[in-house]
Amino acid sequence: MAPSATASESLSPSTTLDTTENNLQPFFVLHRARSRKSEKKPTGTWKTRRRIDLSPSLPKNGENLDAEKAEAWDDCRHVSIRMEAFDDVWSKIKSTIKDVLRDINTNVFNEIHHWVRESFNMITSFATPTFPEATGSFPIVTDAASKQLFTGLVLTKNMEFVDDLLTFEELGSYLRSQGCHVANLSSMEFSVKNGIGGCLRSLLRQFLMVTLDAADVSILATWYREQGSCNNPVVIIIEDMERCSGSVLSDFILMLSEWVLKIPVVLIMGVATTLDAPKSILQSNALHHLCPCKFILGTPPERMDAVVEAVLVKQCSGFGISHKVAVFMRNYFVSQDGTITSFIRALKIVCAQHFFMEPLSFMLCFLLGDDNLMLQGEKYGLSPEMMLKHALNLPSYQSYGRNKIAKQHGETLVNGLAELKKLQCQWSIVILCLYEAGKCDKVTLLDLFCEALDPESFKSRAPDNGGGLENDSGVSSSDCYNHQQYHTTPNSGFICQAVKKLRDLPAVQLRKLLKGWEKYTMNVPQIHDKVKKLLSEVKFEDGKSLGQDLSTISKRHASRKHLKIEDSKAVNEKAAKLLESMVRNYMQPLECVPFHEIVCFKNVNALQTALIGDPRRRIQVDLLDVRNIIRCSCCISSSNTLLPSMHDSSIMYTLAQEHGDLINLHDWYQSFKSIVICLSNKGKHGSNYSPSLKKRKATTEPAKPSEASIQYPIVTELQITGLLRMPSKRRPDYVQRVAFGL
Amino acid sequence: MDINDGEEEDFEFSRNYFLAKELAGSGKKSTRKISDINVVDEQELRAAAANIELKHEKEINSLVNSYKSLYPKWVFELRCGFGLLMYGFGSKKVLIEDFASTALTEYSVVVINGYLQSINLKQVVIALAEIWWEELKTKRRTSSGVSSKFQQPFNSQSMDDLLAFLHESDVEENDSFVCIVVHNIDGPGLRDSESQQYLARLASCSHIRIVASIDNVNAPLLWDKKMVHTQFNWFWYHVPTFAPYNVEGIFFPLILAHSSTAQSAKTAAIVLQSLTPNAQSVFKILAEYQLSHPDEEGMPVDALYTTARERFLVSSQVTLNSHLTEFKDHELVKTRRHSDGQDCLHIPLAADALEKLLSEINQ
Repeated sequence: MAPSATASESLSPSTTLDTTENNLQPFFVLHRARSRKSEKKPTGTWKTRRRIDLSPSLPKNGENLDAEKAEAWDDCRHVSIRMEAFDDVWSKIKSTIKDVLRDINTNVFNEIHHWVRESFNMITSFATPTFPEATGSFPIVTDAASKQLFTGLVLTKNMEFVDDLLTFEELGSYLRSQGCHVANLSSMEFSVKNGIGGCLRSLLRQFLMVTLDAADVSILATWYREQGSCNNPVVIIIEDMERCSGSVLSDFILMLSEWVLKIPVVLIMGVATTLDAPKSILQSNALHHLCPCKFILGTPPERMDAVVEAVLVKQCSGFGISHKVAVFMRNYFVSQDGTITSFIRALKIVCAQHFFMEPLSFMLCFLLGDDNLMLQGEKYGLSPEMMLKHALNLPSYQSYGRNKIAKQHGETLVNGLAELKKLQCQWSIVILCLYEAGKCDKVTLLDLFCEALDPESFKSRAPDNGGGLENDSGVSSSDCYNHQQYHTTPNSGFICQAVKKLRDLPAVQLRKLLKGWEKYTMNVPQIHDKVKKLLSEVKFEDGKSLGQDLSTISKRHASRKHLKIEDSKAVNEKAAKLLESMVRNYMQPLECVPFHEIVCFKNVNALQTALIGDPRRRIQVDLLDVRNIIRCSCCISSSNTLLPSMHDSSIMYTLAQEHGDLINLHDWYQSFKSIVICLSNKGKHGSNYSPSLKKRKATTEPAKPSEASIQYPIVTELQITGLLRMPSKRRPDYVQRVAFGL
Repeated sequence: MDINDGEEEDFEFSRNYFLAKELAGSGKKSTRKISDINVVDEQELRAAAANIELKHEKEINSLVNSYKSLYPKWVFELRCGFGLLMYGFGSKKVLIEDFASTALTEYSVVVINGYLQSINLKQVVIALAEIWWEELKTKRRTSSGVSSKFQQPFNSQSMDDLLAFLHESDVEENDSFVCIVVHNIDGPGLRDSESQQYLARLASCSHIRIVASIDNVNAPLLWDKKMVHTQFNWFWYHVPTFAPYNVEGIFFPLILAHSSTAQSAKTAAIVLQSLTPNAQSVFKILAEYQLSHPDEEGMPVDALYTTARERFLVSSQVTLNSHLTEFKDHELVKTRRHSDGQDCLHIPLAADALEKLLSEINQ
């Protein structure tokens, strides 16, 4: 291991001798961490000093404000404040997501635990080995019935196993908390290469905390007897059964079934496809040892809605995203990736970028509490003037806020943020009410959420615009994000759909729905009262039928249809009108609120480039469009012709575009050469060159680039990018193009 | 450099469309050979590579320097727990190492040169564990004397133990990690799925952050969703530099210099020059025969023996056989069964390569 290399001060492609040596090491230590003690000290003292002489130093701060301003926000101190804020916010979001996903599975987990206990009792009822029997290094031989292996097949209903990793981890810790001995295995352990030893080693690692080269199941049996109480089952969770090697898994099952009396194992396997999966993967002799039981997890859209509700609608952290970002994330989920994991990752990217880019984003942390914001900023060494100046320059304040809030002092920001918080709260209540109504029509919260964020449709809905919901165009604002437009046509947005659904809801459901609304609107008296009033009307109307089930109600409805129908319609209409007015008056999207930049991330392009790298396209664009990227004066002038001054690989690749999938190396090289040599020649004669260049000796003319220097760049760089396949034995004179079109 | 090397037939289907289109458009395919180019010797090429003057050096430098403004952002994102993945045309080696040595001074940095042919990841992980161990020691000396259950030496520990050590979560301070820089994480030495799995597990350790670069357009195919979303946790950056792939390209066979004719004739010449003059002359007989009888299967052994004996090159069948064994061992000569049942000797080189070879050993 080499000692640390010196840090180069300026960037240049040339390499020093020291680094060339390192270049040929498989790995080396670039440098060791510099002790951070020395750096931390000043920050610490700085903080305390600032806290002590807080008020007297204020005016002084204002003087050199302008000079400071430019770099102030990039100061590492400020960045670290925002870093802390990010940590706070993200850990809040993360734990919320975890809780939500766990809650969704609570019932299934309980069910599984119940079944595990039952299975364990069954196993112990077959036979209980005596101690010497149990510690012997061979299985107990009994009848076939006692060789049954209880297997829980957990249907994940999701081909993307990555979303279920967390679920199985949670399941493991849940069962562990109930006293079971749990080990989680993944398909990685069931590879043909490692064989059954791989799974055993992993089991021993997890149960015994040791790594043994000679893994043997008898060690596990001895451990089970010796670890004290034998009243708890051993649960082995295999996360993704379909991805395991069938033969290894079969062997594993056979082995466990032999030993099941000594080690009371219960198997739990995640199944992504159907219940038939074990049949197609396992060998038949293993299959008939299984005693399966089925469990079903929530579907991805269900989980998605739960996550959206907790994180983005109820805003556990106060952090929000803009309409465009939301639509992008929705489209990415629906049509590209389909995993909640990637949605969460996108959210994290968004969050990180927001905290890096927005200087005042640290205020998010205080937005949830009732602290005086300005004072908090002060504690971190930010002058109120600076914060205020930045805040008042935010475009949202410039466009929305200025006419409403005339005075520009510290209060503005504090009030503005309080207002923002209030509006956000109302906004989320309306969405939840809409969701409650739309649920019966299978409207997903994610769709509603995206639509509700759209500032355009909010503006068109606004009372002074005269537009109601009916002529609301949904989320079809024209500049909406790229690939896929919302599949909505005017008048058929999800909000409209939810309201429409409300109109033909049966009375019982309507009552249930209003009950839900009552709960949601608890904190907004204006709406709450209306909901209550409506609820009392429904109650009055349906007074006698309380406690009856749906079927009798519908029968009753059928018999008294003609009498009742108009009344109930009237209530439905009222509810719909209420919802419409809620949408109109209280559902103000985040982007229409002053100061929203502080809490809201809007840069959809930044998210897209960070989330989805597109090397296949981008690298080709780099090559074809090099002059725009390096912006050199000599090449940019001519638009389409190839110039010798251009980057070699770029010339090569542009030339390659003229060929089919096979490129004749000879032709390609000649055309490249003719372009490159053109350079020196034009200077001398200005005449065009014939393609039969190779007869001339390049070395005789010193101005010309040597043959070697022309030949070297050819292809090597394109090979590295993987855009070409090397000549094969069958086609020694051709390279193959790999990419066609961008 | 292709990740999905192999079944050419598989590609044929999708390519038919393009082929047809191409042929319809441009008439017949060119059949000119690579050997028509006056190919420069490989060593000369490599030597020339070092002296090629960089086009637009100024612009490229300023492009690379413009990325410096992103350094604080990159550090921020690393600290947030992301891995940085740099892509775009041009060598990113200098850029990333500059970033690491200027902006990541607070953290230890280990560089893996993925463009090399063989990399022992276990050694890397051991080195990382040692670094982390030392950092923990200095940290704990200042705070409390908590002892880790993981003990040195790391050399004897399994990969699982080492990764568990790097993932240990009971360290007070969250914002401390060792950074690994992987140049060409899609490089030849790391391209197998096992290495990628180890890298992914390494990247997901709580005390490891990763900064990597890719150059191959198909690199994302190396990773499944688990690796991308939960382990590497990539934050993509498009940072084309257009800097030459000087180091990365060292181990790539040069298409021109490596073209079969030149290469095989050259290797054959090297082998022949190590043999005795008599053996060389025997080979020459064989080569000349093959050149003058291009349509035949090869030279019958008897005929070769007669000719060689006439020229006083061999005295008996035994000496000839010993020469032939030598040739066969070096794959200079192959035996073919003639249609009339006779054994024939044949040099597995194309006519032009053979001529080149003859001229070389005649010098």
